[in-house]
Amino acid sequence: MRMLNATVPVTGAFVREHLRAPLTLTLLVAVPALFVLIFASVLGEFATALGGTLAERSATSISAGWAAAFLAGTLAFFQVSSSRGADRRLALAGLGPGRVASARIAAAVVLALAVSIVAFATLALRTGIEHPAHAAAAIVAFALIYIGVGAAVGAVVRSPLEGSLIVVLAFSLDVFSGPRMTSNAGLAEWTPTRDAAEVLVAAGGGVGSPQGDWLALAAAVGGSLAVAFGAFLLVARRRG
Amino acid sequence: MTGLARTATATRMAFRDQRRRPLVIVLLVALPAYVVARSIAQTEPTPRRISVPGGLEATTTMQELHGAVMAGGVIAFVAGLVGVFVMESALAGDRRLVVAGFTPGETIAARLAVVVAAVAVALAASVAATAAYFDPRSWPPLVAGLALTGLIYAAIGALSGALLDRLAATYVILFAALTDVTIVQNPMFGDGTPGSLAVLLPGYGPVRMMVDGGFSGAFGAQGELALGIAWTVALGAAVTACLRRAVRRGG
Repeated sequence: MRMLNATVPVTGAFVREHLRAPLTLTLLVAVPALFVLIFASVLGEFATALGGTLAERSATSISAGWAAAFLAGTLAFFQVSSSRGADRRLALAGLGPGRVASARIAAAVVLALAVSIVAFATLALRTGIEHPAHAAAAIVAFALIYIGVGAAVGAVVRSPLEGSLIVVLAFSLDVFSGPRMTSNAGLAEWTPTRDAAEVLVAAGGGVGSPQGDWLALAAAVGGSLAVAFGAFLLVARRRG
Repeated sequence: MTGLARTATATRMAFRDQRRRPLVIVLLVALPAYVVARSIAQTEPTPRRISVPGGLEATTTMQELHGAVMAGGVIAFVAGLVGVFVMESALAGDRRLVVAGFTPGETIAARLAVVVAAVAVALAASVAATAAYFDPRSWPPLVAGLALTGLIYAAIGALSGALLDRLAATYVILFAALTDVTIVQNPMFGDGTPGSLAVLLPGYGPVRMMVDGGFSGAFGAQGELALGIAWTVALGAAVTACLRRAVRRGG
């Protein structure tokens, strides 16, 4: 209880830290919405060009997942890279690395949920979703998985240019290898969002996913959040 | 110290600043090379009819179209990010240089040299990857289109970096580059001709030049070249004015 009491106000402060600039808040709402609206119309054609079998409705759905993933990943990267000194001082001042890391990850999850809700709502308004609960869970999973990707990059790479390019590279690898995006499976078995994409593609096509897919998705999300927690913890502990 | 010597010193220091982060060079090569090579190699050779500058039409394949235009999207994004963060470095450090006796023009020239060099690295990697999979009808318009895309988006990134925080600027670059260069101007989508409003976006001229170089033996994109140069000059002037104001302001 004491840990929760200390963590909640800090989490609120970390969320406000990112939303200080009114334009950032506007972009967190506008970019996923526009991303879904614009990309939904072409992703089916893009997948067909790559030899994939992604039907238009499923392609529309997956655009929401990718919007949430990229925004959450870059957000987590900048959270880690821009808060190194402050987090360590907070930890040393008595909050402790565990609470700082918990507050950071809670703030990242809150912002990722906000982005996911916008992406989901846009998708629902644009095309309607036959399996809304499945689609919502998969979009949130995309965002949570990319919190792990962004935070891990931020813990290792200090420069914002290098880090953001690495997040983009990871995102590109993921997009090109996504399920049914291409006839050449390549890295598809190893991409972090494979299970989220499978569930979202199925939900977009009006099909529910089997229990095995949900278990795999839960493992991917859990693993990713554990990586993110480790990254935030490392930054709060490490000198410099 | 003369103005030229100070400019040379500032440029040397700006490049030294970048050399401390060798991973940037690796990423400027690896990211465009991977995206271009993978997208061309994986695309199916499905037939596609497109319009080419000069009022012509050409029948090609989706794979060849990816060869002609894919590099533009990735260069736009990479150059945009370079613009964002070089501007951030400039705002953080160059005021001190001005206080120490450099003129704003000298510090700006150094930063612009870094941006142009970064665009050149990404351009070289993209062209090399494109050449491995695609044989355009004419290289000069294609390369010029890619270079203009890089310069235009580097300037858009620099302006975003000056006006917004880094997260917002990154989102703006992601959205602008993907929407303009990768979708609106891309003849892979729709009926193979950019929509009527596409001409209003900065990617129009450069991407039409890429299409011209890819599929037309005779250069017919004079108007598009002029438009691309006009965007580059206008945005370059805006970046210069923005940097000049920022480094003079102090504090």
